Amino acid sequence: MELLILNGLVNGLIVGGIYALVGVSLTLLYGVLRVVNFAHGEFVIAGSFLAFVLFSGFGVPPLLAVPIAAVAFFAAGWGLYYVLIPRLARSDDPELMSFLMFYGVSIAAAALMLLLFEADSRTIDYTFTPVSMQVGPIYVSTARLVALAITVVISIALALFLFKTLPGKALRAAIMNPEAIMIMGVDIVRLSAFAFALASALAGVTGVLIALVFPAFNAFSGAEYTIIAFIVVVLGGLGNPVGALLAGVLFGLAEQMATVFLPQAMAQIVGFVILVGTIFFRPSGILGVRFKR
Amino acid sequence: MTAAIETRGLTKRFGGLVAVDKVDLKAAAGETLGIIGVNGAGKTTLMNCICGLYRPDDGDVFVAGDRVTGQPPHVIAHHGIGRTFQVPRVFRKMSLIDNLLVPVLDRKASDAELIERAEAMLERMQLIALRHNHAEELSGGQQKLLEMARMLMPDPPIVMLDEPFAGVHPVLCKFMIDRIEETARAGKAVLLISHDLTSIYRLSTRVIALNQGRIIAEGGVDDIRGNPAVIEAYLGT
Repeated sequence: MELLILNGLVNGLIVGGIYALVGVSLTLLYGVLRVVNFAHGEFVIAGSFLAFVLFSGFGVPPLLAVPIAAVAFFAAGWGLYYVLIPRLARSDDPELMSFLMFYGVSIAAAALMLLLFEADSRTIDYTFTPVSMQVGPIYVSTARLVALAITVVISIALALFLFKTLPGKALRAAIMNPEAIMIMGVDIVRLSAFAFALASALAGVTGVLIALVFPAFNAFSGAEYTIIAFIVVVLGGLGNPVGALLAGVLFGLAEQMATVFLPQAMAQIVGFVILVGTIFFRPSGILGVRFKR
Repeated sequence: MTAAIETRGLTKRFGGLVAVDKVDLKAAAGETLGIIGVNGAGKTTLMNCICGLYRPDDGDVFVAGDRVTGQPPHVIAHHGIGRTFQVPRVFRKMSLIDNLLVPVLDRKASDAELIERAEAMLERMQLIALRHNHAEELSGGQQKLLEMARMLMPDPPIVMLDEPFAGVHPVLCKFMIDRIEETARAGKAVLLISHDLTSIYRLSTRVIALNQGRIIAEGGVDDIRGNPAVIEAYLGT
């Protein structure tokens, strides 16, 4: 039993790290832009497909796909911002409109991936040497440990960026009070484009890690990650990047530990129980930071 | 002489409601222009139109003779307008120092220089001992001081203060009045909105009174104090 629990904890950390990245990118978008990106999961899975194409088409290993995805998705996100968001800002209710628009984008993105890669599940047949490593009394696949290391590095880098650099402080200030930051001479449109690009880059990188950690993905896997992202964002507190990082790890741990103690079918509903419980009992999230409109 | 800030025929409508109605105002460097009026008179809307948060439906805003009407708030801010809000909009989860760094993010100065300036500003506002605390830990009055300090960080030639004394302890009010006087003496044009007529009469070089979006009286403090239209608007008699 102890081994099962330890296994659940290690896997919870690995999966939770990925969930944290999925959530933090969505919460950054919502915090700065007040945009509900319902297509977030599709952005993530597009990252998985990019890693798949790079590996199967050009022999690029997944580790190298991480920076490539970051740069490619950052550039794509920057361009996409100017195509999509300024139009939204002109509507009467940008938040609701963003939800509807990105729902459409999610359907279109899933259809495009279906067209390009068909409905079959895809996997990256890349193996690290050694295949697995001993962590205390258990063995964990090297790919998963590498993914965990990358999520830790990205999380630390993101936290340092947000708290120690001037652009990061501007992003946090914009999350707390976008109107105040505008009258201080900060170009909120440029800052928002940067936030969108950064969130897209994080989504792309997370997609690569998903391709490393999980056995397979397909054109419709995005919906699952969108739901996970929403659970993490609500649990962490809307628009709170630090909350999302913590919430992702907590959710991953809860989900993996549930598989140890509960039947498989029950374990799958843990996420929804957490979501509903958070909304009912702690609507401001685990850090207790209420979102300020 | 060119006014530091000027509006000509500034008008803002919300549907059928005319919130600001053909307002002409001018303030020169070193002058404090008081703006008074009952709730809903259009004072804050006027400020929002000047700083670009609202796009005026008609009329123009000039900063040092340059027309800035309809430009985005950050562009108008770069022309040299700083402002505070009636309910302070500090960055609650950021330290006082970080709050002050946000308006100078794009300045070509080293981080050390900016931090030194921010500390000097906090010293001036008697908040230096709290520089590493989060803004949410401050009292309402201290948050108003922090917002004033943040506004002054880029050294704007025009400052607009929206109800700086509302809900503030009298001792702190006196301190704020001194800081506002100091700011005007430094050569800045000050636009001051307040319900506190005693303070506004003390600080202002000139006063305009608004009612239902329109200027109903304008002049020196003594002219406004005894103006029947102002008395009627305030007392309804």
